[in-house]
Amino acid sequence: MMELIKRLGLNKNEVGNTSHISVNTDICKTCVDKPCINVCPAGTYEEDKENGITVHYERCLECGAALFACPFGALEFKYPEKGVSYIYG
Amino acid sequence: MDYDVDVAIVGGGLAGISAAITAANKGLSAIVLERGERSGSKNVSGGRMYIHSLKKLLGPRFKDAPLELPIKKETFEIYTGEKKISFSFENKDTENSYSILRSKFDTWFASEAENLGIPVSYSTLVSGIDREDGGLVLRSDRGDIRTPLVIESDGAAAFTSRYLGLVKEKKFPMQPVAKIENNPDFMPRQFMVGVKEIIDNKTENDYGEARTILGLSNGVKGGGFSYTNRETTSIGLTLKLDSLEKHKEKAFEIIEDFREKLGIDGKLLEYSAHLIPFYRYDSLPPRYAENLLVTGDAAGFLINDGFTIRGMDNAIESGRLAGEAAKKIFDSGDFRDTFAYEQLLEDSFILKDMKAASRISTLFGNERTFDAYPQMMAGIMERMFSVSDNPRENIKDVMRDEVKKTGIGYYTLIEDMLKVI
Repeated sequence: MMELIKRLGLNKNEVGNTSHISVNTDICKTCVDKPCINVCPAGTYEEDKENGITVHYERCLECGAALFACPFGALEFKYPEKGVSYIYG
Repeated sequence: MDYDVDVAIVGGGLAGISAAITAANKGLSAIVLERGERSGSKNVSGGRMYIHSLKKLLGPRFKDAPLELPIKKETFEIYTGEKKISFSFENKDTENSYSILRSKFDTWFASEAENLGIPVSYSTLVSGIDREDGGLVLRSDRGDIRTPLVIESDGAAAFTSRYLGLVKEKKFPMQPVAKIENNPDFMPRQFMVGVKEIIDNKTENDYGEARTILGLSNGVKGGGFSYTNRETTSIGLTLKLDSLEKHKEKAFEIIEDFREKLGIDGKLLEYSAHLIPFYRYDSLPPRYAENLLVTGDAAGFLINDGFTIRGMDNAIESGRLAGEAAKKIFDSGDFRDTFAYEQLLEDSFILKDMKAASRISTLFGNERTFDAYPQMMAGIMERMFSVSDNPRENIKDVMRDEVKKTGIGYYTLIEDMLKVI
């Protein structure tokens, strides 16, 4: 995980005050596979004993993979107003 | 309704800017809405563009494009366990494709549209679209824009189509993923996620080299790539979401392994990710609707024929065609009838190549391609390149034996081979 935080730290990312991702924890609590965790290349989703999923929206690279990964409609994803800016791309 | 512009373009990437340039050349008024602080700041591509579409769009101005290196060497590498099969093709004469870094390229590309008088509104996030009086109203954090026609160039997630209700994901009731993953409506089947690293590693050559790498994604369906740029090297993986979902490792762990196995040294300069459309030809999302033309990744224009995987030339060409169609639709005065765009697409290489490639893309959806076939090929190579006290084996016997080991029937094998040819 440390390695991931370091690599995310290479990017310019203007993080907003509110999350651009919301999850319906009623669904997440009952989800066995939690596919969002596996597909996210930025470690945005973490298992949470109480709520099922915790969202670290400040890590998000805005790829949108999690939006399509969740087959249960628990995830609401919008692009942030600022967010990531790549230098190379 | 009074309109602000003839056509509004959502997304200032390759497709959107190509549409803007074409619209400007056709005398239409247009605006591009780009959510990044500049074009390219949100864009990621594997890193190689086949340049025919760009040349067609720009004509002689093409020579100013900030591309990286012309790709003159192609290498295919297939790994299976400790074994690796590879083959290379070099052509010093070709300038068919270039390595590319999108942040730099798209910023320049957008300035080409701006030089033609098309405004590009940066840091502008479209948050909704409404139909009103036969036209569309785009809602953004910089205000509303009223337009009779929208060109959607907002990438694989296609939010514009989503806002208009043209694309909807099927939501399944809660159950283990294993029970629904083969359902055609299971959305993860339709996408790949690309993870990419820029490495501080400069090639000694004055030309670029492309490597396509299979078998280093730790069992996840997908492939790897590496392209040399002027000053850096791009490496990355494209991973199928449905396969990644049930995998024990996460995407960022797989790419760490990947780089180590490739043995490319140098400091990591950037880590990025992007969604890639991977629709089957017969299940592509809508490409046109009333007042709407859909281009590039948003329309699912990714072509994978086994030798080349390409989206950028399709994005540019579909953007150009959308700009041409916009003019035709504008002249007709009926913005509900957008079929002119579909006609242009059908006559273009985009739909023709996608159709032709659709057979082989089924090959990339099955486990045999990533598991059994590389093992089989490596098994044949191993026995043909080994010498011992035993009499040499006949290649026909070796092949028959290795095919048998895979447990795949001859019929399936031949069927798969025919897909490639």
